[in-house]
Amino acid sequence: MTPHELIQLIASFTGSFCFGILFRMKGIRLFVSALGGFLSWGMFLLLGCFISSQSLCYFLVAAAITLYSEILARVLRTPATPIITTALIPLIPGSSLYYTMAYAFESDWTQFWNKAVQTMQLASSLAIGIIGVTAIVQLVMRIINRKTCKKSG
Amino acid sequence: MEDLLECGMDIGERMLICGGDVHRVEDSLSRIFKALGASRIDVFIITTSMVVTVHTNDGKSFTQTRRINETETDFEQLHQLNQLSRQICTQKLSAAEIRTELQKIACAKKYPFWLDWICYAVISGVFTLFFGGNIIEAVSALCIGIIVRLLVILCSKAIGNRIFSKFISSLAATSLAYAVFYLGIIPDPHKVIIGGIMALLPGLGLTTAIRDLFTGDSMSGLLRTIEACLTALAIAAGYFVFAMISGGVSL
Repeated sequence: MTPHELIQLIASFTGSFCFGILFRMKGIRLFVSALGGFLSWGMFLLLGCFISSQSLCYFLVAAAITLYSEILARVLRTPATPIITTALIPLIPGSSLYYTMAYAFESDWTQFWNKAVQTMQLASSLAIGIIGVTAIVQLVMRIINRKTCKKSG
Repeated sequence: MEDLLECGMDIGERMLICGGDVHRVEDSLSRIFKALGASRIDVFIITTSMVVTVHTNDGKSFTQTRRINETETDFEQLHQLNQLSRQICTQKLSAAEIRTELQKIACAKKYPFWLDWICYAVISGVFTLFFGGNIIEAVSALCIGIIVRLLVILCSKAIGNRIFSKFISSLAATSLAYAVFYLGIIPDPHKVIIGGIMALLPGLGLTTAIRDLFTGDSMSGLLRTIEACLTALAIAAGYFVFAMISGGVSL
């Protein structure tokens, strides 16, 4: 692990933690979300060793974090969306969005398109990861609910 | 039942304001009224409005609507409201009891206001480091984060338009980063700007938009998607306006 990766891991925890406070989370839910932020970047770095495609990494991490959030949301009896959002903060493609704008202003259109496509790819990989797992979780919950006919959710 | 409907609407309204996704709010309201003995419930919610009709067993029906103008993300309150709606389902609380509970939730202890400022500053600083900035850049981003936070508050008080306040904030973050750069304190402004922008990006809006879109609430999902895209555009516009004013700085 390089020093920069260590800094990134600490930064992802701290960043998610602060966003959690801005979203007014408290106690165990705040901690779980911040830990999710740490895990999401940790997983991204780890997957990066084996998979060369950044979007595929983003997709897998988003799916894993959504699963993590859905499970913990049910354990803690709380909505899942806040945890997902806060935990995925480190993956938001803020820097590639910025460079897209910067290249557009520089009129460097080759680089602009590269960065624009990259931003779109990363954002949609995140989206698809979240959607896929959300859909599966809902399907599973529906089946469980139908079987037990119990009120939950 | 009319009284209960009023309470239910209060719960739903608070949930939407606190940042609940539409699917959850509709689900909670349906469960609450089913538990309280309605024969049929029609709930229609989009991000800015809610319409609920409850039919009782003796053939009466009640309808109420609410317009939701503000959003103020508060996931702790959302969690409490969620717990309350579970409690209503299991214990069948009366209208008066629900009101006291709601009052309790609304009066719960909040974070002090200065914590927000610190968080904004830390987010800017920490993401500057995250994207490869050094300590000096991170400290500059930290200070800029505080100023940007001040502007966000001022703008939302003065104008009340979230998208415009993002534009101003992004313009401010960019100009301040370049100011620090021209003073010769930091070698390049990019990472400081990225740090400043991270705190403004519509991450929450987009996640909720995606969840709304794919849980069947396409209407709310679309509204939220558009809002998130507009916010991103406003941030970009802030950057562009600065670059144009300063006459095409070399990047």
